[in-house]
This record gives sequence, structure tokens and C-alpha cells, in this order.
Amino acid sequence: MKKYERITAIITSLGGVWIMYYAWRTLKLGSIHVPDAGLLPFLCGVGLAVLGIAWILILQWTKEAENEGPAEQRLWHRPVLSLLLMVLYGWAMESVGYITSTFIFVIAWQKVIEHEKWLKTMIIALLGTFAMYALFVYLLKVPIPPEFFAG
Amino acid sequence: MDIFTGLINGFSIALTGTNILFCFLGALIGTAIGVLPGLGPAATIALLLPMTYVIGSPVTAIIMMAGIYYGAMYGGSTTSILLNLPGEAASVVTCIDGYQMAKKGRAGAALGIAAIGSFIAGTVAVLGLTFFAPPLAEFALDFGPPEYFALTTLGLLLAVTLSGGSITKGLIILFVGLLLAMVGLDPISGKIRFTFGSIVLQGGFDFVTLAMGVFGLGEILYNLESTLKTEIVTTKLGKVFPTLKDWADSKWAIFRGSVIGFFVGIIPGGGAVISSLASYAIEKKYSKHPEEFGQGAIQGVAGPESANNAASSSSFIPLLTLGIPGNAAIAMIFAALMIQGITPGPFLVAEHPDVFWGVIASMYIGNAMLLVLNLPMVGIWVQMLRVPYGILAPIIVLFTTVGVYSVQNQVFDIYSMLFFAALGYGMRKLNFDPAPLPLAFVLGPMVERSLRQSLLISGGDLTIFVSRPISGTLVAIFVLLVVGQTAFYIKRKTGGKKTPAT
Repeated sequence: MKKYERITAIITSLGGVWIMYYAWRTLKLGSIHVPDAGLLPFLCGVGLAVLGIAWILILQWTKEAENEGPAEQRLWHRPVLSLLLMVLYGWAMESVGYITSTFIFVIAWQKVIEHEKWLKTMIIALLGTFAMYALFVYLLKVPIPPEFFAG
Repeated sequence: MDIFTGLINGFSIALTGTNILFCFLGALIGTAIGVLPGLGPAATIALLLPMTYVIGSPVTAIIMMAGIYYGAMYGGSTTSILLNLPGEAASVVTCIDGYQMAKKGRAGAALGIAAIGSFIAGTVAVLGLTFFAPPLAEFALDFGPPEYFALTTLGLLLAVTLSGGSITKGLIILFVGLLLAMVGLDPISGKIRFTFGSIVLQGGFDFVTLAMGVFGLGEILYNLESTLKTEIVTTKLGKVFPTLKDWADSKWAIFRGSVIGFFVGIIPGGGAVISSLASYAIEKKYSKHPEEFGQGAIQGVAGPESANNAASSSSFIPLLTLGIPGNAAIAMIFAALMIQGITPGPFLVAEHPDVFWGVIASMYIGNAMLLVLNLPMVGIWVQMLRVPYGILAPIIVLFTTVGVYSVQNQVFDIYSMLFFAALGYGMRKLNFDPAPLPLAFVLGPMVERSLRQSLLISGGDLTIFVSRPISGTLVAIFVLLVVGQTAFYIKRKTGGKKTPAT
């Protein structure tokens, strides 16, 4: 855990330095009498750079927490896969329309993330797509991406 | 308009059919998400933000959002008591004695006192809001840019220091939030900032995408890491109406909880979680039988549950009077008001009395609705826990995706929401509290505008922030807070005690 925190702290600090440079060179700081668009971004950059260094120092000082019994099993691949599915869903929604993309997305979710059986997957996909369509289109009158197959 | 006339007008607005319906809907959704572990009030309000575009009437939209917030406080106690599983963060402390009561066959009494305490505290806080908010709004009319700069920066600092997590990480999130708010056109100079050539980014990030991503989907992604199983409730509820002895034992705890919750809720960053913790600590400390705490003391349920409800109502005070959201859920309501073209702040009472008084009046009605929803219907809420997370999660994803698309009808918003979802997930993985992010995002423009205006007014003289009485006082509190926190940290380090990780 400490390793990831240290990497994030370094990124934070470097990001802060980059923001300071960008604010100073591109946005311009102006003067104390007439501050320009870069003033607050520059101050935020300073803050991030300093806090990143402070975080690294704190990590150096503090000991790694002792192992307090067996940790809960965390399945990191599930959020990564679901995020990927959501990106594909966003792309598909524009390409093939709302109904088709939603139907396929729910099937993919139930099979890839939840490992459900086909019958249950199909029932959830059909009901889910229908319920969302009814809610957004008929009840809330929300515009949705047009269906590709509808011509 | 005096307070009583305003309140009567408020009731005439809140008691219309549509508003009663949306108040009920808010209370119902709030109770449901309070019961369901893994989705907090901030996330739910974020998920429902696009609905405010459809609702149309600002007062109706805010009545529903407010109902969700205080409704979640009611519902959160149910799983804490029956399953030892807090439905939302403010109910963590209720688990300690609530679950012990349930194990002794007194679940009904615990649920009953939690609901009644919540009702009393909620009503007390709304009374406080009724009488406290208008004079505060009038006082805030004298605020200029230096006062607003001092107030917003103090509010943001308080939100970080009181959140209970790492201050370093909280400050990092705060700066990230401020920077995200700066993406797009600079309103003063017209310069384009941090867009990297993207035309869609020139308008800046939409708050809805940020809120739904970080809070809604971010929470879902994090929960997907563990396989949340459906809990089967086997506890017998028993009578839900407390006995006379229960009432005698808890009446002062409810009273103290209401007062603590009310005042803690007003402080930016205070909110429901801290108030419930503070109430539990006080009840235990001043009890004649502190040894009973942790073994099923009814005061350990009555106090914290009253406190978190009072805090959820009183946290509307800084929002409605100063335009400063004190916590993440209130920041969502701030955004909902902005979506409706209403700027919360001292002018709200004068310019939109229907919203100000309508929302306050609806809270009285909502609290009464929640009492009815929670006491006799507790069995139904418990059944809701049987819905598998595997079905709930994709439904929420579908809901957020269309919701965020509907705001501007562009797929770009879906991608930016997914970017924020990844950010929210990463923050949770690295133990960052995401709460300061929406606060900094919504307050960012105000911080920048007031800073630059103050410097322009004073001709670059920084003493403008300390030479005026109100801003000077706020700056003094800010400095005291920073010095106090630093001294506390150094004392802990040199005292040889264990320091919290970062």
C-alpha cells in the first residue's frame, strides 16, 4: 500500500510543479494589483507540490500498519472490467443506439462481472432494458441516442 | 416578510399536491438508500441530479433532494440495528448498542426510539433553521468579496480538518477540486485554461458528471471489489413502540443529541457523522451507567440517531443563508439549485422566498412522513436488503449513464463521468475522503472571484482581508485552526504516540 501511496505522492508533487509552470508561462500570473487567470492555478500548483513532498516525508516517518488478522478479499479485476464495459457502452450507445447497446451491456455485465446463468442473464437484460426505456423515454421524456437498426 | 408570514407561505407551497408527492418520494428514496449499504445520500442525490432538469420547478426539486438527505439518516439506523451493518456513515455508531439491543430481542424498541428520536431532533433542527436562518441571511448581506474569500477558504479548511481522515490527503483533494473548477473559460479575463485544445471542455466540467462519477459510480466500482452478499434478517423485531421506561431513559439523550446535532451541522465539514460520534461520546461520558454502553444501552441509539438527523437539517443553514455547502450531500443540493438558475446565499430569502420557505416547511412535513414510513413499515425495508447487489449495480450504471447523457445530449459527458468514476475509485483505494472534492469544485469559482475582486478593490493590498471586522475574524479563526492543528500534530509526534497513517 505504501508503495502506491509513494507513487501517488510523487505524481502529485510533479503535477503541482507542472501546474505552476503552466500557470506562470501560459496563463500569466498578472500582478498583485491586477491578478491574471494564472494566479489561483499557480497557488494550487504550489499547494500540490508542497503537499506531495509532505506526504512522501510522512510516509517515510510512519511505520506500515501491522497486519491485523486476515484481510477481506478484494477483487480488483471486477471494477477494472466494469469500467471497461462502461466505456464500451458509452461508445456503443452513440454507434448502435440506446436499446441495443443497453441490452448487450446488461448481458455482458451479468456474464463477465457476475458470472450469472444464461436464463437469469436474459431475463435481467430484457427487464432492465425495458424498465429503463419506459422510465426515461415515456415517463421522464429524456432524449436518448437514436436506434441504428430503426433506420 | 417576517418569519411567521414566511412560514405560512412556505406551508401553502409545500402542501400542494405535487410538492407533497415529491417530498414523499424524497423521503421514500432516502429511507431506501439509507437502508441499503454501499450507497450514501451524496451518491444518491448525485445520481438523481439530472432529474431536476425534468422536474422543472426549483422548489419541488429541492424538496425532493432534501427529503433524500434527511430520509437517509432515518433509514441508516435499520441495518445498523438489525445487521450490525451501517446503511450510511452517520449510523456507524448506532451499530454498537443498537445491534446489542437486537441480540437481546429488543430490535423493535431500538428501531422505535431511533425513529422517534430522529423525528423530534429533525423537528427541533427545522425550528432552529426557521428562526436562525433569516437573521443570518440578513447579516450576510453586508458581506463583500474579502468576507466571502475568508468564509469560503475557512469553510473548505474546516471541511478537510473535520472530515476525520488525513489532513494532507484532504488538502490535496481540495486543490484538485479547485483546479477542476478552473477548467474552461476564465470568467474575468476570458482566457482558456486546462482544455488542451478540446472545444467541449471550454465550458468546463459539469458538476453532474463529477458528482455522479466520483460518488455514484466511484462507490459502485469500489463495492464491486468485494462480493456484497444479501443478508438474511433473522432477528425478531418485537414491539416498535418504546415503553415508558425506554422513553424515560432516552428523553435527555434525544434532547442533547438534537442540540449537539444542530450546532455541529451548521459548521462546514461538521455534518451528520461527527455529530453522531460526538453525541455517543457525550452520552457515555455523562451516563450514570457508562458500563452499559456497548451492551445495549438505549441512550447509545437515541442520542446519535437524534444528532445525525438534527445535523442533516441544520446543515441547510449555511447553504441557504451564505451559499456555502458544508458537506458533500449539501454540495449536491447546491448544484441542484444552480441547475434551476437559483444562486443560494443571502439574497435567496428576498429573491426566492418560495424556495426558501417552501423547502423549510416541507421539512416539517417530511419528518412526519418519515416517522410513518419508518415505524410501521420497518419490516418492508428489511425485505429490501434481499435485492442482490449484482442486479442493483448494473441498474445504477444504466441510470447514471442515461442521466448524465440527458443533461447536454452528448456522449462526451459519459466519458468525463467515467473519468471521474476512475478518479473516485482511485481515491477510495488510496484512502482519500472524496467529500472535499465537490465542495472545492462548487466553491472554486467563488474563491477565485472573491480573491481577485478583493485584490482589485484594495489595489493589491493584502491587509484588506484582516482590516475588515468580519473577514478579519474569519481569517483569525483560519490562522488559529492552522496553528492549532500544526501544534497538535507536533505534540503527537514528539509525545512518542502513534500517529495516524499520513
